[in-house]
Amino acid sequence: MPYHQFECSKCIPERIKHAVDKTKNDLTEALPLGYLNTIPGTLSERGCAYCGAKHVIGTPMKDVIHLSHGPIGCTYDTWQTKRYISDNDNFQIKYTFASDMKEKHIVFGAEKVLKNNIIEAFKAFPKIKRMTIYQTCASALIGDDIKAIANEIMDEMPDVDIFVCNSPGFAGPSQSGGHHKINLAWVNDKVGQVEPKITSDYVINYVGEYNIQGDQEVMQDYFKRMGIQILSTFTGNGSYDDLRAMHRAQLNVLECARSAEYICDELRKRYGIPRMDIDGFGFKALTSSLRKIGLFFGIEDRAEAIIEEETKRWKPELDWYAARLQGKKICLWPGGSKLWHWAHIIHEEMGLEVVSVYTKFGHQGDMEKGISRCEAGALAIDDPNELESLEAMYKLKPDLIVTGKRPGEVAKKIRVPYLNAHAYHNGPYKGFEGWVRFARDIYNAVYSPIHKLSLTDISKDEITTDKSFVTRQMLSDDQLDESIINSEKLHEYTGEFDSVKKLRRKEYPQYPMKGKLAAV
Amino acid sequence: MPCKLKEKERTGVINPIFTCQPAGAQYASIGIQDCIGIVHGGQGCVMFVRLWFSQHYKESFELASSSLHEDAAVFGGIHRVEEAVDVLLMRYPHVKVVPIITTCSTEVIGDDIDGVINKLNEGLLKEKYANREVHLIPIHTPSFKGSHVTGYDVGMEAIISHFAKKDKPQKKLNILTGWQNPGDVRTLKHLLSEMEVDANIIFDIEKFDAPLMPDGNHTAHGSTTIEDLENTGSAIGTIALNRYESGRAAAYLEKTFGIPTIIGPSPIGIRNTDTFLQNVKTLTGKSIPQSLVRERGIAIDAITDVAHMFLADKRVAIYGNPDLVIGLTEFCLDMEMKPVLLLLGDDNTNYAADKRIKVLQENINYDMEIITNADLWNLGDLLQNKGLKLDLILGHSKGRFIAMDNKIPLVRVGFPVFDRAGYYRDPTIGYEGAMLLAEKIANVWFTDMEYTQNKEWLLNMW
Repeated sequence: MPYHQFECSKCIPERIKHAVDKTKNDLTEALPLGYLNTIPGTLSERGCAYCGAKHVIGTPMKDVIHLSHGPIGCTYDTWQTKRYISDNDNFQIKYTFASDMKEKHIVFGAEKVLKNNIIEAFKAFPKIKRMTIYQTCASALIGDDIKAIANEIMDEMPDVDIFVCNSPGFAGPSQSGGHHKINLAWVNDKVGQVEPKITSDYVINYVGEYNIQGDQEVMQDYFKRMGIQILSTFTGNGSYDDLRAMHRAQLNVLECARSAEYICDELRKRYGIPRMDIDGFGFKALTSSLRKIGLFFGIEDRAEAIIEEETKRWKPELDWYAARLQGKKICLWPGGSKLWHWAHIIHEEMGLEVVSVYTKFGHQGDMEKGISRCEAGALAIDDPNELESLEAMYKLKPDLIVTGKRPGEVAKKIRVPYLNAHAYHNGPYKGFEGWVRFARDIYNAVYSPIHKLSLTDISKDEITTDKSFVTRQMLSDDQLDESIINSEKLHEYTGEFDSVKKLRRKEYPQYPMKGKLAAV
Repeated sequence: MPCKLKEKERTGVINPIFTCQPAGAQYASIGIQDCIGIVHGGQGCVMFVRLWFSQHYKESFELASSSLHEDAAVFGGIHRVEEAVDVLLMRYPHVKVVPIITTCSTEVIGDDIDGVINKLNEGLLKEKYANREVHLIPIHTPSFKGSHVTGYDVGMEAIISHFAKKDKPQKKLNILTGWQNPGDVRTLKHLLSEMEVDANIIFDIEKFDAPLMPDGNHTAHGSTTIEDLENTGSAIGTIALNRYESGRAAAYLEKTFGIPTIIGPSPIGIRNTDTFLQNVKTLTGKSIPQSLVRERGIAIDAITDVAHMFLADKRVAIYGNPDLVIGLTEFCLDMEMKPVLLLLGDDNTNYAADKRIKVLQENINYDMEIITNADLWNLGDLLQNKGLKLDLILGHSKGRFIAMDNKIPLVRVGFPVFDRAGYYRDPTIGYEGAMLLAEKIANVWFTDMEYTQNKEWLLNMW
């Protein structure tokens, strides 16, 4: 096995199997261990199973009171630390609820206080009739029966519905444990409870999509233009009651397979709904995704029309950036699925060299996909920790890393620019336009004139006095071919600061129903 | 009585003002040089607190986790502390101080961190790290007690009681800061240096504002050393800036070493800064120089420009850490403003007996409400449903949506401020802090006047 030995981790021998150098010929063997318990004290970047359930999957649901049963910190931490927006004025971002468990509750139990809490919360927001409750370490350890309390309330208040997710922080090696638990809890407890109104011959659930900076709304736009009814989105910009009707879809269109394949697999088992894995990132991947969906429903022409229109509109802008990003080295260090969503496509479409991939909470399957898609020579790291990340960056000297907010600050200090992989810089990044925005953000980071200034040591280096400013383009076009510089076809991004708002006002073509439900 | 102190009526929390104890202990621990704390609990208890600090500072701080997983929750996780200490010490050879910080889960399980520290001291540290100075410090911060404020207080006390020694040769004045920003430490150092006072500032977090340098890795870190911490036991006096954040450590030093001690008030505003300087004078015998008279004069001049013309009678709500809220309230009153609602985010029973609150109750002649165990929905509900009228809100960034949705301008102050750039660099204490705060409040108000067309022409000539 081409395991990678980090100098900083020689003293913890079990780490060696968590990093692999992808060699040219040895692809089948190049698989690090994954999803195992974290080694304590390593400064791993992993989160907990509570946040995986609540913050990643639960809270993007938009019309719900999200309540955590535990001490205040869990709630505080998972509030205003992500960018899952919605088209109903961001209730899920603005409000968070906690039972605020105190010492006396630990001793005597907190079921009564939880019940009070639930009643208070519904009273404070009388228009909201749906609630999710998340267990935490403390409420799990004292053994409160949250479901029993939820059932009591639902008996007493017939117009409300409550979902309970038992996924305490310690339930698994990382946030991934929580993804699994909430997937199963939702399909077990809530799917099948609501019968939806079917308005199209083509009905999907859009699964594993969290509407980061509007991703869901961008993809929803394409589906609507194809005349497809989106029964529910699991869970970004998703509606609680829509998600109770998931069983009536004809197809589950799955985006983030890491966090949401479980529910797709259950829906296939229980309701016979097929699962189709798609990819909203990148022109090529998105094109084949829309084609696949079109093919499934026999509406390829509608997919093709969108692909043609969007490609024509945005490809010259993508190519403007691609021409200027050729050969730039990137560490692709997201949480889970983006390592394989992005690994090949940023190489093919932007010319970036992926010199490293890592995953905080992915499983071996994610690594397998990621490694097979990235370049030979790339360093793949499972459950990276701070010293290993630093060592990798010093060795690989990337032009950019794509990672989380705090690790991004670590990179900044050693003069490596970063882009936020989870929350994005100026997203959305899905969709054709979104992919141009991603390329634009990468370009802006790589050629940031101020960032370049950090490399100069004014006490030692010769200070160039001939320039009073530098633009990105002065840096990026310095060695560029004249034909590219003077191309009339290629141009920089021309979209707006907010590319999502306008979608909310859009009207869509009405396709008359042909199927057996048409008469209903 | 126009000034009422009461507890929030609801049992639960909607939009918290405060977070939990371990976060506070972690904030204390990053103030020490060559120190990485280990939080004994689930990984989220560290990952999110590191994120929280990085949101405020746009910097990363080092903290480790014992990474409690399911088996540990069932069978006990103390062995994970042992492993964490060893792994941390092996990989970070410069680390000398390792606070072991508990959380709700490990307190409920009952993991004996004091016992394991004894075991490690007698075993691992003697055998494997015999030639290395290592301090393991237990900090008990169950999340279901107190808040990040008490967590900081408890953390500072644990750290100081571990290190403080008497009869050290250096005789300095202890300044125990509490939950401050780098700008505060900078201004403190300035005030003390003007008075020629040799001070031991715990924790010295000025370097939390770290540079991006052409070489090396200049990660943000506090610079309080073991020696500084040892010297606290031999100081000529102690001033704790914030009663609820550094009061315990100050009381410990007073009781154990007989060090003359003054707890509070937070030097927010002109008057409280005057008091602080007087206290420094009392404890050190040093006089207040002309340079500070002038600095004070500049601040008063600036505040006079905005106070009675613009700020007078403006109705304001203030939320955040208790010493900050009380200090800001006192300063606002000096500037002729009307703090009408104060929100303190925990159920600390000492607030009722706090002298500063009693004085407010004795002297306020309009309706003021102080809510303890409060959340931001206390504010949102009053604004949206109960007809509360406000001109301004002072508090941290977590209240941004309540402020925006109710169209009340929010002056960012406290922790965290993640939606404005560079605020950690501005002091809120000292004369400079007072001046900057007054100007910030005025400028926020001016912008609001302009964008709501509320007598925006007033500023045509000023």
